[in-house]
Amino acid sequence: MSHETWQEQLRRGGLDLAILLTVSAGPRYGLAIIQHLEDFTDLVVTEGTIYPILGRLTREGLLEAEWVEGEAPHPRKYYKLTRQGAKRLTNMKAEWREFAGKIGRLMDAAERSGHAPL
Amino acid sequence: MRLSDVGESRVNGYLFVLERSLKSFLPADVVRDAVREIESHVRERIESADGSPNERAALEQILAQLGPPLRVAQAYSTERTVDEAVATGNLVPIVRAVGHLAVSTVSGFFMALWLLIGYLSAFCFIALAVLKPIFPANVGVQFIGGYPVALGAHFPLGDADLRGGYWVIPIALFAGLAIFVGTQRGARRFLSWWRERRVS
Repeated sequence: MSHETWQEQLRRGGLDLAILLTVSAGPRYGLAIIQHLEDFTDLVVTEGTIYPILGRLTREGLLEAEWVEGEAPHPRKYYKLTRQGAKRLTNMKAEWREFAGKIGRLMDAAERSGHAPL
Repeated sequence: MRLSDVGESRVNGYLFVLERSLKSFLPADVVRDAVREIESHVRERIESADGSPNERAALEQILAQLGPPLRVAQAYSTERTVDEAVATGNLVPIVRAVGHLAVSTVSGFFMALWLLIGYLSAFCFIALAVLKPIFPANVGVQFIGGYPVALGAHFPLGDADLRGGYWVIPIALFAGLAIFVGTQRGARRFLSWWRERRVS
């Protein structure tokens, strides 16, 4: 597996969690979610591909979508976390922390052993 | 930034291509909603842009960040058709999802070919089971030079050496259903794998 493929898989794995985290603070519309992700991460490579993911998370019942008119010159579609989404997010956060912790410990152990590459 | 007529045409052209692409695989109400959301995104970006160095460059940058309409449509397609196929495991969504991947990816093309061969083989075996009671002499195990070579049907019979009684029916039925289920499971597994590695 190339380094780019590995990075891509890592990015993809984190994207659902990042979107749910972004919406957990309160309802946000598509562009606001993208901007928030761009502020904190480099997970968004092509902005337009975030919308299908939002659609999937909505179909899975993790997000709820609602069009709001009159707030801006154009309508905005807001997404908010559902109860099921909040539950999933709690599990995902715990799993992510556990995973990152284990990898971190593994890296520490490898660095402590200090073997030079062959 | 306030768009000129040329800028408006460019935005409308982008949305038109996106809509046309989405219409090929999504229901009309979903397409309307998706295009409306993407338009909202574009309008919002345009509003907050300062129009530098000029309108055309600023607009092209916004659309480039959004991604080419075909790329965005493909992302919708991958998310929707593949998810539906994996979730339901039904024949129509699986065929639709593999069909879509077949025209956009190499692995999808080979999967579609395999799927076609699998479904055709299953259909042929089941057809043999159905035809056997109607044309008992025309359906059976074909012998050439005294050796069994195939299970099949001959119309007209001619000098074909077909043997076998009604036991051909359960065998053909079993083979047809087994191939069908195997093809279906293989396709679903392929789509699950595809879903795991899809590019967002």
